Amino acid sequence: MNLQAKAVHTPPLGLYLHVPFCARACDFCNFYQEAPRRAELDRYLAGIERELQLRPIERPVDTVFWGGGTPSLLAAKDLERLGNAVLGALPQAPEEWTIEMAPSTVKADKLAVLRELGVNRISMGVQSFDPVLLDRLGRSHLPKQVYHAIDLIRAAGFENLNLDLIFAVPGQTLEAWEADLREALRQEPQHLSTYCLTFEEDTALWVKLQKGQTTKLSIEDESDYYTRAWEVLGEAGLPQYEISNFARPGFACRHNLNTWAMHEWLAYGPSASGQFGGRRWTNAANIDQWLEGVESGQMAEQEIVLLTAESMLADALVFGLRMNAGVDLEELQGCFGVPLPSTVAGLFRDLVEEGLMVQEGPRVALTLEGRLLADRIATAILEAL
Amino acid sequence: MSQLSRIRNFCIIAHIDHGKTTLSDRLLEATQTVELREMKAQLLDAMDLERERGITIKSHPVTLKYVNDKGEAYIFNLIDTPGHVDFSYEVSRSLAACEGALLLVDAAQGIEAQTVANANLAMALNMEIIPVINKVDLPSADVPKIQGQLEDILALPAEDAIMASAKVGKGIPEILEAIVQRIPKPRWADYGHTRVLIFDCVYDAYKGVICYVRVFSGNIKRGDKVVMMSDGTQTEIKEVGIFSPRQKPQDELFEGCVGYLVTNIKEVADIKIGDTITHAESPAEKMLPGYQEVRPMVYAGIYPIDTSDYEKLKASVAKLRLNDAAFTYASESSVALGFGFRCGFLGLLHMEIVVERIRREYDLDIISTYPSVVYHVIKSDGEKMEVQNPAYLPDPSEIEAIYEPTIKATIHFPSAHMGDVMALLMEKRAMIEDTETLDADRVMMTATMPLNEILIDFNDRLKSITKGYGSFDYDFADYQEASLVKLDILVNSDIVDAFSSIVHRDKAEARGRQLCEKLKDILPRQLFKVAIQAAIGGKVVARETLGAMRKDVTAKCYGGDITRKKKLLEKQKEGKKRMKQIGKVAIPQEAFIDILKTSN
Repeated sequence: MNLQAKAVHTPPLGLYLHVPFCARACDFCNFYQEAPRRAELDRYLAGIERELQLRPIERPVDTVFWGGGTPSLLAAKDLERLGNAVLGALPQAPEEWTIEMAPSTVKADKLAVLRELGVNRISMGVQSFDPVLLDRLGRSHLPKQVYHAIDLIRAAGFENLNLDLIFAVPGQTLEAWEADLREALRQEPQHLSTYCLTFEEDTALWVKLQKGQTTKLSIEDESDYYTRAWEVLGEAGLPQYEISNFARPGFACRHNLNTWAMHEWLAYGPSASGQFGGRRWTNAANIDQWLEGVESGQMAEQEIVLLTAESMLADALVFGLRMNAGVDLEELQGCFGVPLPSTVAGLFRDLVEEGLMVQEGPRVALTLEGRLLADRIATAILEAL
Repeated sequence: MSQLSRIRNFCIIAHIDHGKTTLSDRLLEATQTVELREMKAQLLDAMDLERERGITIKSHPVTLKYVNDKGEAYIFNLIDTPGHVDFSYEVSRSLAACEGALLLVDAAQGIEAQTVANANLAMALNMEIIPVINKVDLPSADVPKIQGQLEDILALPAEDAIMASAKVGKGIPEILEAIVQRIPKPRWADYGHTRVLIFDCVYDAYKGVICYVRVFSGNIKRGDKVVMMSDGTQTEIKEVGIFSPRQKPQDELFEGCVGYLVTNIKEVADIKIGDTITHAESPAEKMLPGYQEVRPMVYAGIYPIDTSDYEKLKASVAKLRLNDAAFTYASESSVALGFGFRCGFLGLLHMEIVVERIRREYDLDIISTYPSVVYHVIKSDGEKMEVQNPAYLPDPSEIEAIYEPTIKATIHFPSAHMGDVMALLMEKRAMIEDTETLDADRVMMTATMPLNEILIDFNDRLKSITKGYGSFDYDFADYQEASLVKLDILVNSDIVDAFSSIVHRDKAEARGRQLCEKLKDILPRQLFKVAIQAAIGGKVVARETLGAMRKDVTAKCYGGDITRKKKLLEKQKEGKKRMKQIGKVAIPQEAFIDILKTSN
């Protein structure tokens, strides 16, 4: 099955690189991260260099994404070392190169290095412009740092800026959420990502929720926050293109579009996930374990999933339908070489009848109501397959 | 023959909490039959449920030795009888093993419905009744009132009542002497052939079935070839013995004796309570009177909550049946609940006990459907059928008439609650036949009502209306024609069989509405709007709409989230697999349990 899937489709390629360091843990974040000590940083950088050698890149990489953690926590010279390592491993420069930055770590010298390397997209974790909410989320920056960071980014010549916002924070009214959205729009970003606050296990916020020190919005209320963002941003010229993502025309994140379409991407650094050559895996989420793997040449990979044409079709539907454009069923069947089961077609007919989906020719997409139920619909698809 | 005049067989009739256990203990002490500790331990081993609920399900016979002032030694056989209407046939057989009864009445609480029912049963068997007014030393005791009740309700001469306080031992010598003086010696001893009454039986893993018996005439011993007179089954006696109170083997049981016997029969289902045993070589011509076939009155489906427990449940009901011949079962399946059993019970308490035993003794999570009575249906083509599962009720167009079982209910309650009790009885389709004033503030009402009306909440509501002072008992009466319909519940136009019930036409609509409302609260929201309807013979009489769910989406979903996300989705998919799919609607098992619980 794998062979067949590969034969019919040579997909675009992405590269995800995880920088696991954070100055401190945010109350809502459960991503793998480490405190940045010099010795650790050096071991990490050397590890990445080695990992890039161990996993040679044999075809052009379309997009690079540095996520974290906080990649921007690295000093300018470390960023330079990391960037050169990546560039050295690529057959040619990528078309889109994103780095995630925290407002308080944005510095002119770092930005200059990044520009020089060819980084052309900056994604900044703003979360909110409201100091009270920022404090509640355990973020270490203030709104004025956000404004300053944006000024620096613009001054350095970056023209593709994403801001991350969080909503449904305890104590945040629907009006306050709209105010945050409008303040974000005033910064004229090319892209916005909005995330409903989730209480992930083992985060400080989750602990607070367990102890009854904070509250969670009801599901009905959360859906109001979702739709408010979709309305406000759509009207402002940043239409939604995925559940959580909004962009001016031409500025959708190509790296992410690539993953949602179930194409291929490589993964470097601890806890990074990749999908390549018929398998999906996650590197060990522990710097020592990861380094040990890299040093021994036996990569510490976890959660390895072997992909079949059927599972790829399922995932392409499940994750593809999160995008407003939906999926082209003919294209998917051709791409993975398997037909769509009639049970799924039946489910889609029901969804269309219920106003949760629209179908135009071979293309199906969720309506606004459908997108609010994307997880439930995904479960129904998996059941129908 | 001189032996006979020294034997007395008796039982104690009492309402729960009127002091039966304490009195038994005092009688045991006074006769020094047994060390009390041993007795307690044995009884405790018997069955937790009986102790907890203050009811007796199985007989506990015990033989006491009493020596009077003149130095004359007597053998007393005390048979502790079951005390609930569900077991009224068993009660009647236990009573039939005795010549007399102590009627124990609490001096403060007075005569209760259950006391009356059992006293009437005893009188019908021509037993001598010795009234004992217990707890006379309580400040709230009202002896003249109780004496009045004895005369008015049971027509027993009040001056014959013994004043007692079993707790402090008052009245015990008088009771012992009354047993000798007033209870007749064992009857029917001069019948020419051996006749032995089986009044109860228990299953024993080593011995097979142990029958509790009363020898009326002749004798019986190990090795005897005997006949079960109800069906002519022949078997051989393996062991005989008495209760002292442990089972103690004897060489022989004589006329007048109470004891036990073991035969070749290994299954309780093959022993019939009330049967007469006689010798194969010289058989009696007539059975002892009063034998009946026991038939279940109430049926319900019992299903494992975890469908993979079916085999375990099957083994459990089979084991229960070993010890409880009145309990019947047959496998059935439900669209909603999967594979389970349709079980027959003597009544509601019996059902409750069985369900509870399956839960406790076999550690199984089970759910029971609505209890149903057995309807007699005459079809248009003249065919007669019995229906105990609503699912099998024929289409209304094929039904000529439906007959339902009725009961004769006796209700005792404070007269202040007359209005509320009458309203409850009307609601439950009762025909009030008689209202009798017991004393200044208590009345006794008798009414004929459908058995199915007491299946769900009658007793609880009576208790709550009367602030706990009402009591209720019943006898099964005849079948009567009634205007009954099958009420179906439909979820998105599909019938959910587990919720179907047979109800009176006049109540069907209200009940349908109530069920729809409850389901709307209990069912989880789905991807689609869901119509919940109640229908009678295809005609919708109530409807609710469960709105579609509004949001089920998580915001963040990137390359690194895919594996975790997929796991989560697969988990949800597995969760849905465990739900029952009724058409497009997934109903979690818990929803069935909730709805069946709230309606029970």
